[in-house]
Amino acid sequence: MTEEPFFSLFAHLVIGLARFIRPDEIAFSGVNSTLPMLACLLARQCYNFSFTYLNVAGGVDPEPAHAPLSSSDPILTQGSCSIFANEDFYDLCCRGGMDICFLGAAQVDGKGNTNLSCIGDWHAPKVRLPGGGGAPVMLPTARRAVGWRTEHSPRTLVERLDFTTAAGGLHGLVTPYAVFEKTDGCLALKHWNPAVSPEEIRRRTGFAFDAPQATPSPKPDQRELSALRRLDPEGVFAAGSGIRLWSEEKT
Amino acid sequence: MNREKLVSLQELAAMIPDGARLALGGSFLHRGPFALVRELIRQGRRGLEIIKQSPGYDLDLLCRCGVAAKASCGIVALEGPFGIAPWYRKAVEEGNLTLEEHSCATLAAGLRAVVFGVPFQPVAGLHGSDLARVNHWACLPDPYGSGRDTWVIPPVRPDFAVIHAAEVTAAGDARVWGTPNWDRLMTRAAESVLITAERLVQDSFFSERPELTLVPRFLTRGAAVVPHGAWPGSCTPFYGVDYPALEEYLRRPEETFVRAHLAHAPEAATQGTVATREGQT
Repeated sequence: MTEEPFFSLFAHLVIGLARFIRPDEIAFSGVNSTLPMLACLLARQCYNFSFTYLNVAGGVDPEPAHAPLSSSDPILTQGSCSIFANEDFYDLCCRGGMDICFLGAAQVDGKGNTNLSCIGDWHAPKVRLPGGGGAPVMLPTARRAVGWRTEHSPRTLVERLDFTTAAGGLHGLVTPYAVFEKTDGCLALKHWNPAVSPEEIRRRTGFAFDAPQATPSPKPDQRELSALRRLDPEGVFAAGSGIRLWSEEKT
Repeated sequence: MNREKLVSLQELAAMIPDGARLALGGSFLHRGPFALVRELIRQGRRGLEIIKQSPGYDLDLLCRCGVAAKASCGIVALEGPFGIAPWYRKAVEEGNLTLEEHSCATLAAGLRAVVFGVPFQPVAGLHGSDLARVNHWACLPDPYGSGRDTWVIPPVRPDFAVIHAAEVTAAGDARVWGTPNWDRLMTRAAESVLITAERLVQDSFFSERPELTLVPRFLTRGAAVVPHGAWPGSCTPFYGVDYPALEEYLRRPEETFVRAHLAHAPEAATQGTVATREGQT
């Protein structure tokens, strides 16, 4: 596995997500969202601009002493001067006030729609998945929604979803290998992890995509890498992020 | 009105009949009324319908013990390092649990329909989602002519809202620390509200800052003081998640484990005792 100073696959995901956040935005990380939680905390530590960080624990610009294992842990309200609770941030998103939110997926198609519900028929599922949580309402209403997937393979990035839990199209999608961004209504390759080739990304992606101006992912700078080390000093998140699937696939 | 609401955990659970529709407070591993959920299992309850945006350990344990017949929820997982809730997944895949799959905000809309006293509640988004199809939800044109078609959600009407609070008064006022999650909405939508709480406090403790109280006494039907009542989850500011206990819960599929799990839970030590006013702040 490629290690620092190049991207680890884990760093590619977290930093890739963090780089979608822009100055003065309102950004949100939700339940079951360890990687976006780390991305938002990282962006607050190392980028030269301010933005508002909301999370599902009710935190508003929190300063947690450490990143919790659960992305809905009350630890994520430490240092927060208010509690912006579930009803508040959903309503904010619904009225168009959420600039960027991060949403997970089991399957993503080329338009950036997502399945988090089931594999097989919904009424008689082969696999019942956790469900979409906020996604069916947040994906179409957030100004931009950015997804992530720890397994980049033809069974996760698919031509056709088994079930459309959330439509409306992700603005961005980050994997250990790639960063996609919506162009003309479809996800296009924006960056690839220099650890692999664009051809390998195409082989591993079930949907067709354009790559008109794709470039290798910009190398992480020292501030990004040291912020990530501070957030994950023991490598607990890197080990538990599910990216280990990658090396298994390689063998 | 200052009617005493305090009962034992057993008496509180006994207010809930078979087949009841229960809205459970908290989210995932945090501030769920888990001691009460375990007590329902000890009492042999059957056919419960669980209403909660993001259940985890609670719904999984109820599925594991065959107590839940239906669930209306948005996302079910044990979160953090654990991911999927295995017994919930098995119950749905084997057809033993009827699922009404929501988005968190559509379940909130269903509760709001009840809270607002209207037959349905509009919700933004949802366009293109198959959830609308499997739930037979309707999409209405704007009668005022904006041209924005809007999905409307039918009422979600719990018989009981059960929430775990930090503090409760003898009359049934309850306060939580940190986020209330969806508990405010649940306690306004439910026919009856049942509270478990970490500790009992005097009225004067709340009347100093009444705006911090989440549930006013007149909504509450019964309350029990249950220290560590959210175990193995967290209850801020008192304790965090007991990850080793959850790892064991997931690691041991045998039926005897569930019996031991119930027997060794914190509330089991006070089984049969009536909640007292000792330790009152």
